Amino acid sequence: MFDYTLLFIVLFLLCFGLVMLYSVSSYEANLKFQDSAYYLKKQLFATVFGIVVMLITTFINYHIWDKVTIIAYFVSLGLILLVLTPLGYEANGARRWLDVGISLQPAEVAKVGMIIFFASVVSRFGKRIQSLKSTLFTIALAVPVALSVLFITENLSSAIIIFCIVLMMIFVATPNYKEYFLIGAGIIAAAAVIVLLVSKGILPETLSYRFSRINAWLNPEKYASTTGFQTLQSLYAIGSGDIFGKGLGQSMQKLGFIPEAQNDMIFSIICEELGLFGATAIIVMFLLMIWRFLVIANNAADQFGALLVVGVMAHISIQVILNIAVVTNTIPNTGITLPFISYGGSSIVFLLSEIGLVLSVSRGIRLENK
Amino acid sequence: MAKQDEQRFTMKMQRKLAVLFVIILIAFFALSVRLFAINRDNGEKYKKQVLSQQEYDSVTLVAKRGDILDVNGSKLAVSQKVYNVIVDSKTLNGNDGEYLEPTLTALYSTGISFLYTQNELRDFIRQNPSSQYRVVAKKQSFEVTSPLMDILNNPADHPNIKGIWLEDSYQRQYPYNSLACDVVGFVQGDNEGIYGLEEFYNDSLNGTNGREYGYLNDDENLERTIKPAQDGYTIVTSLDVNIQSIVEKHILAFNEEYRDAHREGPGSTNTGVIVMRPDTGEVLAMASYPVFDLNNPRDITGLKIEMPEITLSPAGEISGEEGTEDTESEEAAAEENAGGENENTEEEMQARMVLTPQAGDDIASYGDAYEEAYEKAKMEALNALWKNFCINSTYEPGSTMKPFTMACGLEEGILTGNENYTCEGVLSIGGHEIHCSNRLGHGDLTFSGALEKSCNVAFMKIGASIGKKTFMKYNRIFNFGLKTNIDLAGESRTDTLVFDESIMNPTDLAIGSFGQGFNTTMIQMATGFCSLINGGYYYQPHLATKILNAEGATVRAIEPRVLKQTISTETSEKIRQLCVNVVTEGTGKSARPAGYMIGGKTGTAEKLPRGTENYLVSFIGFAPADDPQIVIYTVIDEPNAKEQASAKFATVLTRDILTEVLPYLNVFQTEELTEEEAAELAEKQLLFSNGSTQEEEPEEEITEEETEETTEGEETEEAEEEKTERKIEFDPETGYAIDPTTGDLLDPETGRPIDSTVSDLPPDNSSPITFVDE
Repeated sequence: MFDYTLLFIVLFLLCFGLVMLYSVSSYEANLKFQDSAYYLKKQLFATVFGIVVMLITTFINYHIWDKVTIIAYFVSLGLILLVLTPLGYEANGARRWLDVGISLQPAEVAKVGMIIFFASVVSRFGKRIQSLKSTLFTIALAVPVALSVLFITENLSSAIIIFCIVLMMIFVATPNYKEYFLIGAGIIAAAAVIVLLVSKGILPETLSYRFSRINAWLNPEKYASTTGFQTLQSLYAIGSGDIFGKGLGQSMQKLGFIPEAQNDMIFSIICEELGLFGATAIIVMFLLMIWRFLVIANNAADQFGALLVVGVMAHISIQVILNIAVVTNTIPNTGITLPFISYGGSSIVFLLSEIGLVLSVSRGIRLENK
Repeated sequence: MAKQDEQRFTMKMQRKLAVLFVIILIAFFALSVRLFAINRDNGEKYKKQVLSQQEYDSVTLVAKRGDILDVNGSKLAVSQKVYNVIVDSKTLNGNDGEYLEPTLTALYSTGISFLYTQNELRDFIRQNPSSQYRVVAKKQSFEVTSPLMDILNNPADHPNIKGIWLEDSYQRQYPYNSLACDVVGFVQGDNEGIYGLEEFYNDSLNGTNGREYGYLNDDENLERTIKPAQDGYTIVTSLDVNIQSIVEKHILAFNEEYRDAHREGPGSTNTGVIVMRPDTGEVLAMASYPVFDLNNPRDITGLKIEMPEITLSPAGEISGEEGTEDTESEEAAAEENAGGENENTEEEMQARMVLTPQAGDDIASYGDAYEEAYEKAKMEALNALWKNFCINSTYEPGSTMKPFTMACGLEEGILTGNENYTCEGVLSIGGHEIHCSNRLGHGDLTFSGALEKSCNVAFMKIGASIGKKTFMKYNRIFNFGLKTNIDLAGESRTDTLVFDESIMNPTDLAIGSFGQGFNTTMIQMATGFCSLINGGYYYQPHLATKILNAEGATVRAIEPRVLKQTISTETSEKIRQLCVNVVTEGTGKSARPAGYMIGGKTGTAEKLPRGTENYLVSFIGFAPADDPQIVIYTVIDEPNAKEQASAKFATVLTRDILTEVLPYLNVFQTEELTEEEAAELAEKQLLFSNGSTQEEEPEEEITEEETEETTEGEETEEAEEEKTERKIEFDPETGYAIDPTTGDLLDPETGRPIDSTVSDLPPDNSSPITFVDE
């Protein structure tokens, strides 16, 4: 029972993403590289490569991954550590990339690695996962990877995503609610305290550049020329879009006001060009995709397959929510891309490989029903 | 393989997955609401913000204002390219402030004069990190700015100098400084011309600013498009810098010569001279006094500002009061003091003390209200300085009107030129006894003699014979009461300052016939007079002759424009001869330059209010007599002398100007020179040939001496002549009769000595009217 609905949604988002990417990036590409299709070409190449990877993973029996689960864990960790070697390189002020013929973000590998690893671990624990001890032990397994992403590649957003993926997978696998809501409430309370301290000036901004972003988040107009610039310009773009937008290609904010709009801020340009209507349509597409994940997980042949799908679902939904929250200044600015649409080769290839996993699981459903 | 049950995705898990899905759904929904809220709450604001940001990307290219040239191409006004220095704090603060100090050091090591000190600028940049456009130095010349340009053009050599750029601008400059200041005018603010040609031709002179902007073309490629600035048009005028210089030199000499002669101040309240071509209406020179430096029009050095008063209240607070007329304020002050002495206690006197601060005091120390009043007084003084006397001031022309009255009578056939008049010194018209300048009468006069002696009685008779209807018809023909529409800003309207035919009485007609009772401007008189002597053609007076575009091609040629025929050629011919007679036989003798024959008419008009002994003296003439090439009109308002009523102030000034201007215009001498004249001219011509190339101060001094000698010589000569001709002696300066027994000047109205009668005269106008004229 191959899930054509999911495949269609993914292909639609990919095509839409390429169109938007060209619209958003052509101005800057022309300025920087004298080639308005510079970003489009690179993204197109990554997309084609990603589709090939997706097809391969689709037709590989997903149970293979259950057997290499330990390898997946250490490969994830190892690649992150490789960033420290001369293979790693710095771009946009952060050392996050590996140069292995093509540029590779280890954090993206780690996300897939963690999904496979925890799907395997949780399914192997079986009912034993329900004890608090094993739950905490499982969560603890995610900590080394999350921390190394945070401190070695200085990538808070990826660390949060990895940690959230694991948390959501375990949330689904365990029957209790109270603990998770307590954890959630605790995290929110801690965040609130930090925000309060920073806004009152008790925690100096100089402590970390992330704290200065909290002030910019609370009052973007005050920091319009510095940390609040990107957020404010993004809000201008969204606000000026109206219901049906200015029309495809008509964005004014992409003309140098939102720097590298094709990355994290692409959603604001979608709002500007296609309006609330276009933005809502994209949100609905993502919702449909997540609903397909739900259906596939519920009908998966085994727990491992179901948890794989839950992991992918967690990954994509977290990224979509956080990305839109950032561009609408609902949360402080942190670099999170919009799946399938934002520019980024590593991201698209590994996202498509995850889709391949899900499609592979959906193929297994038919085998089960036979 | 483990057990199937353990491998299955249990119902509990499915339920939890559904919960997770609902949580995600809620998050998505919340974000959609947020998107909607942003649009609803701030949509309009953000739309405007986006549009306003876009404009930042385009740059204005400033157009160059056109030049103003004289007839020979000398530049009266030019626009020099200059540069404004702009600071971009945002860029300067980048890279952790590493650029700030090197950039500031580089800026302040150039010779540019900044609006701020280095420390002020540093503070500004730190406190306004988002500012991207701040002008820190204005209108700096190329020489001063070029070191900074070198730095900015080689960014590779100066990696730490950032956030500075230069903006092109233009600075209006007047190479001749104060020359023809009233005619040229100046600019303020953003190239807005005020006064003179600068204002009148403001739109032609100002070009259209261009713009440089970036946009995306159909292929989504960024294109930088430059819409070039269209530079303004250049105005070529008929003004001749050489003639203008001669005129202004002599006006200055006159005013210096008579400085402080009777009252404090220059030789006159105002002195105006117009030199124009009668055959085209082109103005060759137009000058008045005092002058100001066009490059620094707001300089108040030497400017007399009416200081407002201060009233001290008991609490010692100072309140400013607006200054009124000088005399009034003095009176008020006197009144206050008198009151204090007689009635008020000491405290009350202190309480109401009125002070008039002296110029040079620290104005700010008197408080805001005072400063405001002072600023107002200052602006009034400056406006008075800037206005063009020749087109802006209205006054009663006096006897220079007489040729117009004669032309009217001759043209209509009412007068033949063979009339004889008897002047007994007074004529009763409409119940008023109106006296002639010669209170004892000119006796029998021919038609020509009436003009030569400027006999008011004869002209009152002429006026009566013409009648008010015809007189007013010709006033309209000569455009009195209408603007001449000369191409200068600020010409006065005189439509309410002329006679109203419907209520005009015989007295009005009588005094109107010799130029009193109505007002004109200098340019009206000069333009009308041109038509009197050029065959009757009334040309529109103008300065601009050509308008050129920035490439030098003629956009518009302004040809001489005849507006109407005022009188016939025959009448014009007669008037010319009569005016020549005035110079050969009558009151205009002292206006004739050595070696030339000219025609003209003097005027000595008593100013309102009558009896204050303030006069406006004038001479209007043309040269040479047989083929007039120029008309010159000289007006001296309130000459600085005890007895102002002498047209000689004007005739001598005219003579001095013509003596230099006629040779410059290559007019041949026709008259034989006396030995005295030859000697004087020999000296002057030498002077002139030097003076045309360079005007140095020592030479001007010689000229002044020269003028003095001439004046004295002429005066004695004239006086002797009058003595032999008439039985009764007249004061050569005022024309008043001299009492043979006491030697006092007699008032023609009362017959009493002048000095004793002045205060007896009632101030209002209904009293018997007195006019004095030469």
